Amino acid sequence: MAEPTSPPKRGKCFWIATALVVLAVPFVLFGLYLAFLLMQDEPVVYADIREHFKYGSTGGERESGLPYWIFQAMPTVCAPHLPGPGWASLGFIFEDGKDLPVGMSKRRRMGVDRTFINCAACHTSTVRDTPQSKPRLYLGMPANTFDLFRFQKFLFDCARDPKFSTEYVVPEVARLMREKGHRLGLLDRYVVYPIAVGLMRERLGMLHGRLGPLLEHTEWGPGRTDTFNPNKVLFNFPLAQLPDREKNAAVDFPSIWLQRRRQGMQLHWDGNNVMAEERNKNAAFGTGTTPPTIDLAAIGRLEAWLLAEEPPKYPYPIDSSKAARGALIYKEYCASCHGSSGRDFAPPAGDTSRECLKPDERDDGLYGPYVGRITRIEEIGTDRHRLDSFSYELAVTLGTVYAGYPHRYCHYRKTFGYANMPLDGVWLRAPYLHNGSVPTLRDLLEPSAARPREFYRGNDVYDTTRVGFVGSVAGQGGQRFFRYDTALPGDSNAGHEGRPYGTELRPGDKDALVEYLKTF
Amino acid sequence: MPETPPRISRKRKLWISVGILVVMGAVFGGYAYYRLMWEHREPLIQDPEERFKYGSIGAEHDAGVPYWIFYVLPRMFPEKVPGPNGLASFGVSWEQGRELPIGFTKKVIGIPRVGNNCAACHIANYRTRLDERPTFVTAAPGHTLNLEAFFRFLVDCAKDPRFNADNLMHEIALVTDLDWFDRIAYRFLIIPITRKRLRERETQFAWIYHKEFPEWGRGRDDAMNLTKYFMIKVKMDDSFGPSDIPSIWNLKKYDREGTTMNWSGDSHDSYSVIMDSALGLLGAAPHDKNEFLDQVKWLQDYLRAKAPPRYPFPTDEKIAASGKNVFDQHCAGCHASEKTGTRMPLAMVDTDPERIGTWNKENAIAANKVVRSFGIERKGLVEDSLIGYNPPFLDGIWLRAPYLHNGSVPTLRDLLTPPDKRPKVFWRGYDLYDPVNVGFVSQGPEAERVGTKYDTAERASHNQGHVPGTTLSDQEKNALLEYLKTL
Repeated sequence: MAEPTSPPKRGKCFWIATALVVLAVPFVLFGLYLAFLLMQDEPVVYADIREHFKYGSTGGERESGLPYWIFQAMPTVCAPHLPGPGWASLGFIFEDGKDLPVGMSKRRRMGVDRTFINCAACHTSTVRDTPQSKPRLYLGMPANTFDLFRFQKFLFDCARDPKFSTEYVVPEVARLMREKGHRLGLLDRYVVYPIAVGLMRERLGMLHGRLGPLLEHTEWGPGRTDTFNPNKVLFNFPLAQLPDREKNAAVDFPSIWLQRRRQGMQLHWDGNNVMAEERNKNAAFGTGTTPPTIDLAAIGRLEAWLLAEEPPKYPYPIDSSKAARGALIYKEYCASCHGSSGRDFAPPAGDTSRECLKPDERDDGLYGPYVGRITRIEEIGTDRHRLDSFSYELAVTLGTVYAGYPHRYCHYRKTFGYANMPLDGVWLRAPYLHNGSVPTLRDLLEPSAARPREFYRGNDVYDTTRVGFVGSVAGQGGQRFFRYDTALPGDSNAGHEGRPYGTELRPGDKDALVEYLKTF
Repeated sequence: MPETPPRISRKRKLWISVGILVVMGAVFGGYAYYRLMWEHREPLIQDPEERFKYGSIGAEHDAGVPYWIFYVLPRMFPEKVPGPNGLASFGVSWEQGRELPIGFTKKVIGIPRVGNNCAACHIANYRTRLDERPTFVTAAPGHTLNLEAFFRFLVDCAKDPRFNADNLMHEIALVTDLDWFDRIAYRFLIIPITRKRLRERETQFAWIYHKEFPEWGRGRDDAMNLTKYFMIKVKMDDSFGPSDIPSIWNLKKYDREGTTMNWSGDSHDSYSVIMDSALGLLGAAPHDKNEFLDQVKWLQDYLRAKAPPRYPFPTDEKIAASGKNVFDQHCAGCHASEKTGTRMPLAMVDTDPERIGTWNKENAIAANKVVRSFGIERKGLVEDSLIGYNPPFLDGIWLRAPYLHNGSVPTLRDLLTPPDKRPKVFWRGYDLYDPVNVGFVSQGPEAERVGTKYDTAERASHNQGHVPGTTLSDQEKNALLEYLKTL
């Protein structure tokens, strides 16, 4: 039998080394934990494309995300800055059982859940048959009720409010978490959230400095945004120095369905780009992305889906014989610019190559009475603020965006008119004209002098007679709608009028035409 | 029996370690050299117009600014930009869909860098009506370019305390994804070195910060002072003479014996002028002399043959024909004769004398010496004192507004007006063309918003002189203008 060996004698050095190792363990573990937190970047993913559209990420939360719990606390902490209770008062749509509105996505990044808007915030809305009925959600339609202007303003006002401080925000976060059965951890309570509050104040203060001058422009109201003046902020163009004609450039949110048939068309209201991908990436800046942080795979899924996504059918009865009469009028008056029907539209063979603009490329092909081509401003006569807001200088500066990536923008160009839009799902695209200055289709068929000089935006109750949303009601059930005044700069309802535009048709013919447009 | 491994001597171990270190150092050094200094050669642009507009002449080596720094500067320092439109506010000519304006070149020398070529100054843009995109004309005067503001901008950014690695890296991270090497290199090498180099320019550029000198304004360049302070590095003197950026098309007209070039006939021939201007863009001796000489030769061939642009509005042939008679009688003696393009004493034209004071015989001798020291042969600058202004050839004169060497007269019609009746204050650098007065629109809210104010009372900006033609009848003037449009 072997003798038991006595343990070797251990020297002083051994014990010191052991002690050091033991002491180091917590630091190493903590370091690893921090590294894990810093590396963390997990969006909430949805297999279903429609859920992905409503709640999925574009990558915007990486750079611009608001900490989820602070987002939830803001309406309470900054209640006086909201027009009503909660985020819903800004026109955000909440589906039953959801903690975030349609158009807000969530991603865990550096140990904190963050949220920010995605495409659906501006491209989804609701319709009600009567003030009493339940709203129906339509994906891809213009966000008729969402007030992006006041959303921005609220974020800036809230961040500047003395109450937006650790003292008020952290207890509210703790309360909300408790309500949902979560606990606010020590690290979060004493480190993460206090820092987050400070960072938000700084970042939102910086953004307010840059975007602030926009808040002096004609208020957009729900369903509208200024597309290209915020784009200038990307380059830190000082908005306060803009010439007057570039200001007040709000336009209606567009519908975003049936993209495949739009290939080869001049996109955006002024037709300044033929490449859907460039347009989409640029719109994604509005969801808080930057070139290094954009989630191209997630946006790619949406792009693929929207190629063929059909606009919703008109859900109310249509008088088919009246519509048939309208079809003849449509053919005579509208079809050349707007396509032969709501589904059958194709631009004349245009540039569908992906090659960049060439030097001295002629502009002639851009203009003409065809769908997806442009009608010159002196001819269409609609409000020109939006057109002028997209300056030549901005067009060329956009050529620097995504530099160093294979998808650098190289198709933006200055145009001098507004693009002729296809009319698929036009019933959901009210109010009309690029700036949404005409509440209904029937009003659009009147000369501008006979169109409503003022009306209300943001109501989702549908008017089946005039085809558009009810614009004559100032408020409903405690909610006040936005008064749109066509006399304000940028909001003119002139143009798209005269004999060729159907405003001189007999009233019965106008009714028939509107009936036909319901089928689109 | 287990074999004992052969013992390696301690000395040998040491050598092996040193060897490994040397190899690793060499590999890393090679990698660093590749990432920071290696010049990526790109094929020459085949299309001559494209090559003139975007082709590198090698200015990215010494004068080049690292691309990502150049990219973020206008957005980091908008308060130093002369307008609300970033880089475009400097009046550069910028084509749609391009990453950089015309005259700006991008080349990878380790890292992408931005330099300039001749087209930065020698490209014009004009519009014939408001709702139209600009038309670009190569080899034309860059009448919209605010060169002085651009020079100052880079220096002023570098002098700003916000110009540091933290801020620049933050801004760069918003637009691109640099890899680990670039991040380290930018933070610890590229940004500090760029800041130092740009700040050094301040002393060279001292005269553009001179409090008593007025602004050059758009379309002007104090060219001989630039040469003085850059090429021969003389001490700043009190001279000041900004003059119009010239057109450089159709240079073969200077082949004729006896002609000299530039406003005052300071240089012998087109080869020398192109050479000296290009060296100015490089800011140092060429990195690769033979390549550089090939570039200059190509430029000379291109510019000798480049035709002046045609007037873009309709002209009346009959009136123009009668205008030719007026021209032959009153103008041809200087502008279409043996005298054209040769030296002429100042007294003959009596325009603003300041530019003549910016250059002299000693400067010319010194500058020629510098160029010779690069091992470059050329006829060079005229080693003689300046006496006045050369009567210029008038090809493509319609696009060379404003007029006179210092651009003090906005339109040709104004030039046919007696000096005391010419506009005293106007705005330069607006690109809308005025076919009635033949020149650019230089008054009104848009011209004021876009352009820079030109006050003829300021130093070197007087609009005196050149009286021939001012006493013609209105009918003769109209006829003459119609003819001048066709040149």
